[in-house]
Amino acid sequence: MHGITSSRTVWYRRLSIGLALAVFFFALALPFALAVLWSLVDPAHPWAYPAVLPPVLSLRRWLEVWTTSALPQALYNSYMLAACVSIATLLLASSAAYALGRMEFVGKSIIHLLTLVPLIIPNFISAIFFSALLIELDVYSRFLGVLIGHTVSLLPYAIRLMTVSFAMVRQDLIDAARDLGASPLTVFRTAYLPVIKPGLLAALIIVFILSIEEFAISYIVGAPDFITVPTILYSYLGYNFIRPNAAAVSLILVVPNVVLMLIAERLLRSADPAIVTGKG
Amino acid sequence: MTLMANALAVERASLRYGTFQALIDVTFSVGEGQLVTLLGPSGCGKTTLLKAIAGFMPLDSGRIEISGRDMQGVPPEKRDTAMCFQSYALFPHLSVAENIAFGLRQRRIKSSDIASRVAAVAQQVGLSPQLEKLPGQLSGGQQQRVALARAMAVHPGVMLFDEPLSNLDLKLRDHVRIEIRALQREHGFTAVYVTHDQQEALAMSDLVIVMRNGMIEQMGPPEQIYRHPVNRFVADFVGTANIMPVDVLASDQKSGRYEVTCPFGKAIIHSATPPVGSRIYACWRPEDAMLTSEITEEENRFTFDISARTFLGSLCNLALSPRNGAAEAFFRIQTHGFTPVREGQTVDVVIPPDAIRFLEEVVA
Repeated sequence: MHGITSSRTVWYRRLSIGLALAVFFFALALPFALAVLWSLVDPAHPWAYPAVLPPVLSLRRWLEVWTTSALPQALYNSYMLAACVSIATLLLASSAAYALGRMEFVGKSIIHLLTLVPLIIPNFISAIFFSALLIELDVYSRFLGVLIGHTVSLLPYAIRLMTVSFAMVRQDLIDAARDLGASPLTVFRTAYLPVIKPGLLAALIIVFILSIEEFAISYIVGAPDFITVPTILYSYLGYNFIRPNAAAVSLILVVPNVVLMLIAERLLRSADPAIVTGKG
Repeated sequence: MTLMANALAVERASLRYGTFQALIDVTFSVGEGQLVTLLGPSGCGKTTLLKAIAGFMPLDSGRIEISGRDMQGVPPEKRDTAMCFQSYALFPHLSVAENIAFGLRQRRIKSSDIASRVAAVAQQVGLSPQLEKLPGQLSGGQQQRVALARAMAVHPGVMLFDEPLSNLDLKLRDHVRIEIRALQREHGFTAVYVTHDQQEALAMSDLVIVMRNGMIEQMGPPEQIYRHPVNRFVADFVGTANIMPVDVLASDQKSGRYEVTCPFGKAIIHSATPPVGSRIYACWRPEDAMLTSEITEEENRFTFDISARTFLGSLCNLALSPRNGAAEAFFRIQTHGFTPVREGQTVDVVIPPDAIRFLEEVVA
């Protein structure tokens, strides 16, 4: 009996490791490798059947994308926007997360659910009506429009992450700090910050990444005056489809995000309550 | 009543959560350098009262004065109190030294003075070797000392203890209890100490306040609470008591001599105060009864069957049922040392008339 169980466990473990490797290979490694290869195809020597690898590798596509398109401006726009969006989102989310994580009030669970509504409405749909609303409100700044749009659609992520963080803060530490004469700022620094910091930074990074990758609102509200990296990428995919250029742009879009995602993952893992709160 | 001499005065304090009346008309005062315990079962309002003194819960009516100053509207951070929390509430990311220094930093004291005061307090509670460690690296007993040192360091007008020993094991609890009392005596700080452990309350306090259902049942020095409980609740909650219904047959109020019937026969009670209420109860402590081998008294001499005997080394507990009384009634007595009696045996017991006291009825 024991032998059967243990051999079955081993078998399950092998299967799950195999599946994870397969997912990694087909979803991450393969697309990445192909994107890198495609972005290095020399314009004068096309990569066509039956060649297994591009006949000539060069960085000319990268130079072409950088010099002939609006990519430098789009990069600046995207990162500037993402920074503003994450700060605005965090400021708005903290008050909601504080209320949901630390206060008791009537209808709390309903409000908690309502904060998630932006998640289920596709950005395309909200963007179409949102752009009309902006004109109605006399907001003509495209940047401001996209900033508001992103902030609203990304708030649920930040509220969710930070509600959990705020709920982990120990009331007795807040009380102890106050009892010993701490000012509100010191109470925040001593009782709140060490506990919510990982969640706060993780929310910041996740909102930042999602804002950079967001297309629907950026395109409908921002284009053609305000271009972001995904908008540029779209222009390479549509009417005049140039695969090597699109590959170069998508790598520029994705690689920094993967790095940021790994950092967020580390931060969330360090939010272990045993370490943060000192409870075993 | 001179409020100026009191470190703490609570007057007619009332507080409710929704429909639950947590405190009802609570009045007491604590003299400078006294240790007062708030004793009672869970839900009696003792912790609520402590939090009201610390400023975490505003009173609905009544007032609290600390060192003669009215605390109405004063937030916790502005009150001259320091609390030892049940959970210790140490800041996990700060070292022991930083935890102890926390209150002093808020008071904008020079950092050289802070360092010397932290060193002095750490010395007093025996934490000097642990100063650089984080709270998570300490044992429960050591954490409890850090909490005590952190509160003591600020020299508060009133120290507040919220069941500080309940997370310690039994042996350590006795040790820390003695230590807290010694430190309190040595430094003369005023303290309010919440506990549900009657032994802790009797052992530590200058004054014990027994609470139930948000009200004070009895207030007095530990000996008085134990020797002269005013009602059934106090008698039963503090220590072990034999509580029994009695009917007064004859009374002589001048000499304080009462003749009553109780479940095991006719008894004489000496009492300075007459019984009150329609249903009268009396109580006596297990250790007040004497086996007749020790004494030859004839008054209040009763015959019992021993239904159980528990030998505890220095003490011996006997459960007795009356020879000719109600079958379900049984009484406990406690004797010193080895008592050569067996279960099932019959013994004669004398209960001194001074040891039996009338109890007031308890308002439910």
